[in-house]
Amino acid sequence: MRLALRLSIFVAAILLTMSAFGGARHFTYLYEAPTSVPGSLELENWITWQRGTNPARFDQVDFRHELEIGITDHLQASIYLADWFYENDPSRSGFTYSDSAIELIYNLTNPVIDPVGLSVYGEISGGRQHFELESKLIAQKNLGQLILDYNITLEAEWEEQGLQKHQGELQQALGASYELSPRISVGLEFLHEFVFPDWGDEEKIRNVFAGPNVAFRRGNWFVTVTVLAQATDTPNEADFMVRTIFGFGF
Amino acid sequence: MKKISMLSVVVACLSACQLTDYVPPVDPQMAAATRGRHVDVATLREGRRLLVHRCIECHTLPPVWHYALEDWPNIVNSMSHRASLKPVERDAIVAYILALRSQR
Repeated sequence: MRLALRLSIFVAAILLTMSAFGGARHFTYLYEAPTSVPGSLELENWITWQRGTNPARFDQVDFRHELEIGITDHLQASIYLADWFYENDPSRSGFTYSDSAIELIYNLTNPVIDPVGLSVYGEISGGRQHFELESKLIAQKNLGQLILDYNITLEAEWEEQGLQKHQGELQQALGASYELSPRISVGLEFLHEFVFPDWGDEEKIRNVFAGPNVAFRRGNWFVTVTVLAQATDTPNEADFMVRTIFGFGF
Repeated sequence: MKKISMLSVVVACLSACQLTDYVPPVDPQMAAATRGRHVDVATLREGRRLLVHRCIECHTLPPVWHYALEDWPNIVNSMSHRASLKPVERDAIVAYILALRSQR
């Protein structure tokens, strides 16, 4: 009890000293080059619903809870408190905890005044039967009210009992977002994935997803929604995905 | 040929956007435009730096002529807490915008 009280006072003290908004997202499948303002603390909740029908119908809803912290004008850190999901397919149904993660983003150049805004991203996640390393290069250019964004991501993943199953993934994502007003923006997102089971490319797994997004922000909160449909026909991949990120600053 | 034409149109549109420089670097003429408010070049440079780092966290930068000169202090002030701006930083951003606005 005393430990819980001390922990609560510690967390409250941190929240009181960090009272700004980290920033709003224009995309949900892409990261943007600018990092959170120093001293800001923001909670972002991710919900992603996927439905697939090839070869059998399945539904999966993923949840992420991200605590985003602005450290300096160029560095931000995030703690993913818990990644968990609900799945429903012919063989099983129920909730499962997946992993927790930490992430760092370092901003190199600015998307407004430099030719291209660049940031580098690193994430480590681990769970009971899951370990993953992810690195990303984020490139962004702001052209007036238009934001062009590109991410290239390399992932290495180990899963299942004893982390015996492993695979790599290379992903590139392209997004465009136009601000209709300072509060509302609309855009498009594209994903192109190369999956390498057991670090091999014999199966030639390529996935392409594309779809629109909309973002709304007001005061110290924002919500961004993207709907993506699969343009390829890969078995066991979602036909469509809907991702919502709702964030608010303390 | 059709693809090349479309690509040319896209490049032209993007170039047009790029040519609209909403946050030009600070120059002596800009500092001179603040006469009566006595703002130095260093403050204007800091205002520009903060504008392009803090404000784009939530939104793109609007052209300064979108809003009246007298509206800008209240606009920046209304978002200064969210952007974690100290009063001196907020004033530097306002000074840069007003100097830029005075030139237009």
